[in-house]
This record gives sequence, structure tokens and C-alpha cells, in this order.
Amino acid sequence: MRKTGWKLARRVLVSVPILLVVSFLLFAALRLLPVDPAAMSLPPTATLAEIAEKRHAMGLDRSIPAQYGIWLDEALHGRFGTSISLRRDAGALVANALPATIELAVCAMIIASALGLGGGVLLFYLRGTWVEVVGDLGTILLLSVPDFMWALLLLLVFGVLVPVLPFMGRIDPGLSVPRGSGFLLFDALSAGDFAVLRSALRHLALPALALGMAFAPAIMRVLRSSLIDVYHEDYIRQTRLRGVGEVRILLGHALKNAILPTLTLMGVQFGFLFGGTLLIEVIYGTPGIGNLMVDAVRNADLPVIQAVGLSYCVMVLAISMAIDAMVLMLDPRARAI
Amino acid sequence: MTVLRAESVSVSAQVQGVRLRVLQNLDFVLNAGSVLGVVGESGAGKSMIGRAVAGALPDGFVLDAGRLAYASSDMGTMSAAHRRSLLGREIAFIPQEPMAALNPALTIGQQFGGHLARLGMSDRQERATAMLEAVHLRDAGGLLQRYPHQLSGGMCQRVLIAMAFASDPKLVIADEPTTALDVTVQAQVLRLIREMQERVGTAVLFITHDLRLASEICDDVLVLYAGRPVEFGPAARVLAHPSHPYTRALQLSAPVMHGERRALFSLAGQMPGLREFAGLQGCVFAPRCPVVQPDCGSVVPGAVNGVSCLYPDAVDRIVVPQFLPASPASSSEPVLEVSGLHCSFAKPGLFQRNRVVAASDISFRVDAGEFVGLVGESGSGKSTVARLVMGLTLPDSGDIKLSGDLLPASGGASRRMRLGAMQMVFQDPQSALNPRRRVSDIVTQPMRAVGSSEDEMAARVEVLLAQVGLSREIGQRYPAQLSGGQRQRVNIARALCVLPKLLVADEIVSGLDVSVQAQLLDLLLRLRAELGFAMLFISHDLAVVRYLCSRVLVMHRGQIVEQGETEAVFEAPQHDYTRSLLAAMPADI
Amino acid sequence: MRRPAWARSARVLVGAGLLLAVLICAAAAPWLALHDPAEQDLLAVLQPPSGFAGGSPDYWLGTDSLGRDVWARLVYGARTAVLVAVFSATGAALLGTMLAHAAGYFGGAVDWVISRAVDVWMSFPPVVLSLILMVGLGGGIDKVVLAIILVDWTRFCRVLRSDVVLTARRDYVTAARLAGYSHFQTVLREVLPASLPLIITLISLEMGIAVVVEAILSFVGLGVGATLPAWGQMISDARQNVATSQIGLLLPMAAIFVTVAGFNLLGDGLRRTLDVRATAGRMA
Repeated sequence: MRKTGWKLARRVLVSVPILLVVSFLLFAALRLLPVDPAAMSLPPTATLAEIAEKRHAMGLDRSIPAQYGIWLDEALHGRFGTSISLRRDAGALVANALPATIELAVCAMIIASALGLGGGVLLFYLRGTWVEVVGDLGTILLLSVPDFMWALLLLLVFGVLVPVLPFMGRIDPGLSVPRGSGFLLFDALSAGDFAVLRSALRHLALPALALGMAFAPAIMRVLRSSLIDVYHEDYIRQTRLRGVGEVRILLGHALKNAILPTLTLMGVQFGFLFGGTLLIEVIYGTPGIGNLMVDAVRNADLPVIQAVGLSYCVMVLAISMAIDAMVLMLDPRARAI
Repeated sequence: MTVLRAESVSVSAQVQGVRLRVLQNLDFVLNAGSVLGVVGESGAGKSMIGRAVAGALPDGFVLDAGRLAYASSDMGTMSAAHRRSLLGREIAFIPQEPMAALNPALTIGQQFGGHLARLGMSDRQERATAMLEAVHLRDAGGLLQRYPHQLSGGMCQRVLIAMAFASDPKLVIADEPTTALDVTVQAQVLRLIREMQERVGTAVLFITHDLRLASEICDDVLVLYAGRPVEFGPAARVLAHPSHPYTRALQLSAPVMHGERRALFSLAGQMPGLREFAGLQGCVFAPRCPVVQPDCGSVVPGAVNGVSCLYPDAVDRIVVPQFLPASPASSSEPVLEVSGLHCSFAKPGLFQRNRVVAASDISFRVDAGEFVGLVGESGSGKSTVARLVMGLTLPDSGDIKLSGDLLPASGGASRRMRLGAMQMVFQDPQSALNPRRRVSDIVTQPMRAVGSSEDEMAARVEVLLAQVGLSREIGQRYPAQLSGGQRQRVNIARALCVLPKLLVADEIVSGLDVSVQAQLLDLLLRLRAELGFAMLFISHDLAVVRYLCSRVLVMHRGQIVEQGETEAVFEAPQHDYTRSLLAAMPADI
Repeated sequence: MRRPAWARSARVLVGAGLLLAVLICAAAAPWLALHDPAEQDLLAVLQPPSGFAGGSPDYWLGTDSLGRDVWARLVYGARTAVLVAVFSATGAALLGTMLAHAAGYFGGAVDWVISRAVDVWMSFPPVVLSLILMVGLGGGIDKVVLAIILVDWTRFCRVLRSDVVLTARRDYVTAARLAGYSHFQTVLREVLPASLPLIITLISLEMGIAVVVEAILSFVGLGVGATLPAWGQMISDARQNVATSQIGLLLPMAAIFVTVAGFNLLGDGLRRTLDVRATAGRMA
């Protein structure tokens, strides 16, 4: 057990240099833009001298590593610069928007896992029947529908043609949002406000389902193929020779092994899924970091791009850490090395 | 009381209009309290018996004639539910690869407990502990908390044996249960199976390719060839006085540990594949039989006293060739001199860097034309020594001299000096031969590296294939189209391409059937007489080393604990470890 | 002589068939389209396809909100999609394959550096990374291709590296070195051929991904630019009028689906039939 703790701690430590490198690359890439943050932060009437002075004040006349040093120092104190277009602290903007994105991503991950794992087991259990053939082909076709197309399709079907679910924002405009963490579902639950909870859930349904649908088929296919691999192993044959029944072999013996490669893939897929929230938010008007990013990109709002980009990385690293922790819990061999 | 009885059992599948028979006309009786050995080389169909009992025949195969009866119920017509109720309770299995047969994600306790729960036992903890103690595992309670990867192969096999015997089964089927284990562990496991079997008079079906093992443990023996029984009877009689030419040939092709070194009898050709034996007429062994008679090709021999041969007396006419070419006069001109080699590997750790010593203070020499054996169990560092010699692993310290010249520790010069002077033959031809290249490409690889012309290479291919006893058209084939023995010949041919002075051969006959092994051993001796190379021959099989090598090095835990003339070392071992290795070898037959 | 397994696979054939159709549309776009894709007819905006009430025989699949011919934009959009798919997948494959072989074959420090680079890259969601790159690179089809290469080489590198590690461990690679091959010869002649089936499969799948990424970038207005017709742009335009005209949204989505499904079917079929390890297993 102590070993597991160490390994997790090590995993956290490893992600620190990764974050540093990522933030530096982001910083460097954005500094190479033909955009002058100093000029943008001043009124259009500013003179060249004023701009030069501003540049000096912002440290823009120094080398990129030196500028990065300044930025890093600021960032470690929680200051990510002021948004050029919104005139607010970029860090605060991200902190405001992040809960909506996380809520969407987590719901989508739950849906993707449930559909993917359930479907994978079912497809494997029905191997050798027509269901497998159809399901196998079906998953390839489903894989060919990217997340933003799911979003548009669901919006079209359940929002426009058969209008049963809302498709704009996080909550009905008439309801007052309970103050709190920013996670609507959590805040509504803790405030006992079921009208808000219901509305928030209804607003989440389509975007989360769209994102979940896009990532479920990949999980399904990997779980199925790892189950097929596991069934070629001697220990499954040996278990069968002890007279253990098929359902028990599948659920009690094979799944625990087959889930490991599946989890590893889910780590990667969920990283992609987190990126997928960006377009979903744009399509469903969710006030998350995706919309923040797209606006910042359109306005060349460097501090916001930088802060949002970094928060995406932090989230992806957090997901992959969570997955690693799960693998460590489930795989005795991973604990040993 | 009869536990398992086969009466002209046949197992076959209909594939593309041809009926493929993996078993035919099988007759045997296995009584309670006795051990029946099923002996045969790979492809003989010996595993099919176990699979037929388990109801786990390969897809398409069915028990299509005869009767295979467990107690009084017919296994052919038994319902799946009935069979499943017997498995694990009355019929238990001991697998070939113990490490792979335990679920890596569950603890020993979870797996053992699950099994005992299925048997309806309530005091599972105590029961499991007691069974683990019965198979002589120490700290049985602690063992239940551990995962399979934390156990050695021998321990895993003991756990599996404990599980198999936990229900006091009537029948245990053990399919090559010791093949994956080291010699010393193998002997212990064999004794253990016998001991457990005697406790409640379980009947054991012991499937093996090794006649020597069968003679150690079995009461009766059934010898299979190409799916047909060739000889069945009490082990003492069958193995001491074989009446079938095949049994006799098998016996004569195994090298011996005691007495005078005798030449091996090598059976020509190889066992026919499933498709080929569909078309065979008469006795299936006739095409390879050294004492074949004209009518053997047309008359199917029936079993008389368990022997399926028309001419059982002919075995006495099998002639063993003259003893092998004498070892070359020891020229005492060294090809390879190794002194004080030390090698360790970093073991991945969190903060501290532990180093594992793989080989320490290795010193030995190999003279021109001399075959030197390197023996030891898995993990003893044998392969590390091979890699050090070949320059594939760099030593921490120590010198290697090639024909008297000191090799630089690393770098291009050291590589160039080795090229052409020494070559390696790898253990697993499956991995050693690129599946995407034709044989002719593979054997001339060293020439391609220096840019020889196609004509030169074509000429060399012909010579090399002839030398290793392969026909010319093999050159156009891919490795997947060859048999195991043929692949190993290609492997040897590639090493010989540059006419090296020294071959390093790592376990090159370990995966092969005994008759194929005999062919290869004789090939190596013949090639030495022709080409005069020396060889460092790594093997876990002492009998093979005794047959082939004039000197032997014994490795244990990264060190050479004993070296000397093979006969002297094996007759009067000085080191305890050598003694335990020798004691664990099954007796000659 | 029987056709090789991959040429008999239904998936490969159907996938290749779909892609062939897309390719023909792309190649023959000037002849297939009756209108210039940029030509605006402000008197006939948001028309349904011909045959529907209010449709005109002149615009087969109707018009968009600026009165541009949807059919023309679809077939010209296929050009954009095919160009992006081919160039970016090839580029990403080259870069990823080289790095994967360097890392997997040499191991040690080379492997460490390349693997950490992959880690850094993978900590960005691809959509976000390509968006940021597009901000830096500016729009245009060549920039889209470059952005996709710079983002997606990791997909090749990550998958191939572990494959190369397995191949490099095989004795025949050691044997090639012992036979006197240089490292470069060994990789080229013994290691790379073993990865080829996987590379081909991955290229096919990557082409599908590239089509989607191009659509996404065009969707948020950072794609190939307004002058080139692109499916993502059509979707983005049609979304504004989703309440009144759905067909303009569905058509470009169908085009993307057909193309991506073609690449995925082809890739999956190739994976099943080219997998030499599995084939060898069946032969043994």
C-alpha cells in the first residue's frame, strides 16, 4: 500500500515539469504572434512613444525566457494577466467558467463509460451471434460521427424537430442560480433547489449525451478486444476447467484483467473528450472555458488564451492521473514495479 | 475400479471435405490409484485426450467414434451441465504453464477461496491453508494474500496442484506439468504429484513428451504417434523393452546421463501433419520406420498385447550407428578467453538505484574446435554470459580475448573484430528469423551487409542449405512455412555463413522434440568435423551437454561454480549445486 | 493466384468505394458543379433541393443563406477535405514514424526525450492545441495541414513506439546487428517492415481525423479561410438558420460522415487483414 502511495506521489511530481514545459511552449508560441499586447491594451489614439513605454512597463522588450520568468512568477501568485478585451483578470475569468466545463465533461465521461463499458461487455458476451457482426460494424460507423456532429444532430432532433429539451445555456433564464461552487448540480443539490437541479440536468442532457456518444464506441471496441485477448489466456481456460460458469468467468475473472488496457485508453480518450467540450460549449452556448477560448482566439486576447490553454492541460493531466490511480488500484503488477 | 476408459475413441473434424483425425482407435484403461502416462512428440495428439474429457476440443472437432467413459458415464454424450458439475470436483487439471494459469489480477486467496466456495466448503481459510501446507509451501497463510506474479513458477504449480487436489478428485489430468519448470523444481513437482495422488487414490492422466519423466512417475504408459496409439502397457515393460519401433527409436534418440556415451539414433523425417495423415495407408509410422516391411504400407496393424505393429520382433534389428566422431585432439589453442567478467543491471527504483548482479567473475576459455557446455537453471546468468561474449551487453569490468587478441570494451573496433569470427545461434527460431524474409535472404544476411553480389549469395545459399541438410527449394520459403527443426537449421546456417571460429548457441534444442533434437545434435557434430568451429553451448539439459561437450561450466546465481571435463564433473561433482542438478535429472531409460 | 486477404475484406472494399466516390467528386468538381461555389444569388437564398416545394431545378441541393449553390460547395469542399487529409496524414505519419523508430529502437535517453515530448503534447487536447496553433500560424489550407501535422504526429509516435520496442526486442534484429548491419540498415530492413501494416492502418484512420479537424477549424472560423469552400464552414453557416432550414446543415454533415466512415472502414479492414502477427498466429 505504501508503494502505491509513493507511485501516486511520483505521478503527481512528474506532471509538474510537464506543466512547466507546456506553459513555456504556450507562452513562447503566443509571443511569436504578430500581435502586440501593448498596443492592444491602449486606446487606438496612443502614440508610438506611449506604446513603447507600455511595452517596457509590460516587460515586452525583454527576451522571451525573461518574459516567461515574469509571467511564471505572476502566475504562481494567482495573477494571469488582464484580459485585453474583457478588462478582467484572466485567472478570474477561467475560474468562473471552469465549473461549467468540468460539469459537462464529467457527465459526458460518465455517459461514455457507462455506454462504452456496458456495450463492450454485451458485445463480447454475444460473440458469435448476429449482434456481434452488426454491433462491430455499427461501432465503426458511430466512430465516424465526431462529437460536434453529435451535438448538432441531437440539437436538431431533440431541440428543433421534436423540441423536448432545451439547448441553450446551463439553466432556464427565469431561475435564479444558487451561489456557491459554480457547479450547478452540486450547488442546487446542496441548496435543495430541485427546480434548478431539474433545469440544469435538462440543459446538460443534450451536450453531455453528444460528447458521451462520440467517445463510447472507442471504449466499447477496446474493452471488447481486450476481453477477446484475455480469453486466450491460460488462466481463463484453467478457470473453466475448474467448472466455473461462463457469466462468472466473464464478470469475476476476465473483466478485471480486460479493464486495464481499456482504462489506459480511456485516459487518452478522456483527454480528447475534455478538448471536445470546446465545440460542444460553442454549439450549446455553455458559458465554459471553451467559449472563453473561442472568444479570446477571435480577439487575439493573449492572457486569456494562455490561461485557458493552461487550464485545459491541468485538467487533462488530472484526468490521466486519476486513471493512473485507478490502474494502480486494479493492477497488482503495476503496483509491484 | 476403472476411472477413465477409452474404447476405440476417435476425434476428428471435417475441414474442406477432408476428415482430419487427431485421435484414432484409442484404447486404454485408467484405474483408480494409478498413473497413466500419455507419451508422444508434438503433434501426436496427446493433449486431445485431456481436452476431450474437459469438453474443450478445438472448434469443429468432435468425438465421432468409440466411447470415452468417465466412471460409468459417456463423455461423448454427456450434457454440458453434467460435465461442468464434474469439473473441479471429481475431475481436476494441472496445467503446463503455471505462471500463466493463475489470474494475475486476483490474489491466491481469492482464487483458491473462489474454488473452495464452489465446492461448497465453509471453512475456506483453514482448508486453503491446510492444502497449501500439504503441497509443502511455507507460510501458507501469507501466501493467500499474494498475487501470482510474486510467486515463482514452481510455487504457482504447487498452488495449482493444491487446488486440483482440494476436492479429493477421482481423476486428475496433468498436461506437461513440469515442462516450464527448472530441473530441480521439476523433480520436486513430480514427487509432489505422486504424493498427492496416493493420499486418496486419485487416478492421474500424465501427459508428457519426455519418456524419462514418464518412467519416473507412471504405472502404465500409452505411446502415441500421429494420433494413433502405438504401444500401451505397464511402464516398466514398455520403457525397458519397447516392442514398437517408434518407442524404441524414441528411447534411442535421448542422450543418457550414465554409463557409456552412446551415439544417438536419429529418426529421419518428421511426424506427418494432420492433413497428411488423412491420406496415409497402413501403419502411420511406416514412412519413417527404420525396419519397415513391404506390407506395412498397406495393412493397418491392430493392437496385440498393446503393441500396434505387424512385426514387433523387428525392434531388435534397429541399428544404432557407430559412436560419434571423437572429440578433436585438444589443440589448446584458445579461440575465446574470458577473464573476470562482471556485469550488473540497474534495477528501477524510486530514488535509490539498486543494481542486480547478473554475472560476476566469469572466467573460462574455449579452445579451437572445442564444444564447451554452459549449464544452469533459469536466471543463473547463462544468457547474460552469451550476450557479454557477443558484445550485445557491455561488461562492467573484465577482458574478452578472441584468438589471443584483446577486444576493446565497446565501440566499432570491437564490433568489427567480432564480425566474422563469432556468431550466435538463438534459442527461439520463431523470434530469430524475420517472418517477412525468405530463408535464402536470412542465411546470407552477413553477405548483404557487406554488399556481396546476388550471384555470390545465391551460391552461398546452396552450400549452406546443403550443409545443414535442407533441400534447395527451402531457400524460397518463409520461416512460417517451416517446421521447428527446419527453422533451427536455418538459424544455424545463418550463423555459419561467415565461417565463424566460434558459435555461441543459447538453448538451441530446448523446444524441440527428442527425435528432432537428436538430428540437430548430430548435425552440429558433423558440421564441426567439416568446418572446425568451436562452440559455447548453453543448455539446461545435462544429458545433451554430456553428449555434445567435452568440457562444462556450471553457473549458479551469476557465478561459475564449477568447471572441468564433462565426464569428470558429472561423475564426481565438487559443488553442492552441481550435485543437486545431477540428482534432479530423471533417470535414463 | 488468390487476391490477398486485404483485397477480399468487405470493409476494405466498401471503405475504398466510399473514398473513391469522394475522390471523384473532388477531382471532377469543376465539371460536376453547375455553379461557382462562391457565386451568390441573393434572390434565391435558403432554397430547398430541387423537387421540394420552392426548390429550383437550377440548384440541385438548394442554396445557403447567401444563395450559394450547396451542391457546388459540397463537391469543392471535398477538394479541400481530400487535400488536407492526404497531406496532413502523410506528414504526421512521416514525423511520427521517424521519432517512434528512434525512440523504440535506441531506447535510453533518446526514448526518454521523445516519450516526454509525447507526454507534453498529449497533455493538450488536440482540438485546443490546433486552435492555438492556428492562432499563431494564421489561416489557410497549408496552415491547417501544418497544424494537424504538429498536433497529430503523437498519435503515430505513441502507438508505433510500443510496437517498435517489441520488434526491436526480437532476436532477428539482434542477428542483423551481429551480421554486420548498421543501425540505419537494421531499422530500415528489419524493424520498419514490421511496422508498415500498422503505419498504413494508422494513416487511413488519421486521414479521417484530419477531415474532422479541418471541419472543426473551419467551423470556428480558423480553417482554410473564407475563399475556399469547406464542409465545416457550411455547417457553421447553416447552423444560423437551423430553425428554418435543416437540410443545409445535414448535407455537409453527411459528407463528413461518408468520408470519415470510408477512412475508418478502410483502416479497420486493413488492421484486420494486414496484421502480420495475427496472420502468423493463424498459420502456426
